[in-house]
Amino acid sequence: MLILAIFAAGILIGFRWFPERWKRFHGAVQLGCTAALVFCMGVMLGSREHFWSELGRLGLDSLLLAVVPMAFSAVLVFFLTRWWEKRRAKRENKEGGA
Amino acid sequence: MTFLILAALAAGILCGQFFSPELSARISGCSDWVLMLLMLSVGISVGGNREVFRRLRRMDLRVWMAPCGVIAGSLAGGAVCSLLTGFNLRESLGISAGMGWYSLSGVMLTEFYGAEVGAAAFFSNLLREILSFLTIPLAIRFLNPYAAISLAGATSEDTTLPVLIRHTSAEMVVYSVLNGVLTSAAVPVLLRILTKN
Repeated sequence: MLILAIFAAGILIGFRWFPERWKRFHGAVQLGCTAALVFCMGVMLGSREHFWSELGRLGLDSLLLAVVPMAFSAVLVFFLTRWWEKRRAKRENKEGGA
Repeated sequence: MTFLILAALAAGILCGQFFSPELSARISGCSDWVLMLLMLSVGISVGGNREVFRRLRRMDLRVWMAPCGVIAGSLAGGAVCSLLTGFNLRESLGISAGMGWYSLSGVMLTEFYGAEVGAAAFFSNLLREILSFLTIPLAIRFLNPYAAISLAGATSEDTTLPVLIRHTSAEMVVYSVLNGVLTSAAVPVLLRILTKN
């Protein structure tokens, strides 16, 4: 909950008060924090006893976890938008006929 | 930026190989504070898109279809992957909820599930971004521009936007940015819900 509250506070600050001239500095802070956290993640990974032998399986799992959600997203959005456009065309035809 | 992040990861892995377990644990312990600062910063970035939020009020239902489809499709795909990989349902859903935002999903899932899940989130979402560059033109050709936007997930507002600009119209650019902002806003919320005990 604390994480979400901090995130919401950030949205409010960004929407209402954050000055445009601080954008570049803010970008650097965000990049720095991201790099620091990724470094920490790397340290945790590297300290694992069987890290190198686990890497192959991790690579295949990661590929599946990239491709399958992408495919589901694309297909779902395709059918949703196609349905909406057919519905709109039908409505326009009805209004044109009337 | 991607190069810097990959370099940070590589440096961390190398340090982890040579550091003592106590030092590794201390470094990992500092990450909570950095994560809070990052979440504040991410919130500021999302909230700073004032023009985007103004446009949202004037646009039709299609503006919500891509982000809703991305979220539902990604989670559905994640659920299917729990049957194909070594991760359980919640871990798999958490990884797919990153929707291309590899840095945030990697660090948040590391905090809650450990380094292996965090690394899978990092690599899978990084792969999603990379594969988007290759598959967006194909999706535009064989499906439609909205499906192409959905492939990119949360990255459609920045890193994959140039590819979308090249293959679509000015109108689709607006949908792409809106999708990126809305999907990005959803990522921390979804990750928090999925990592709740």
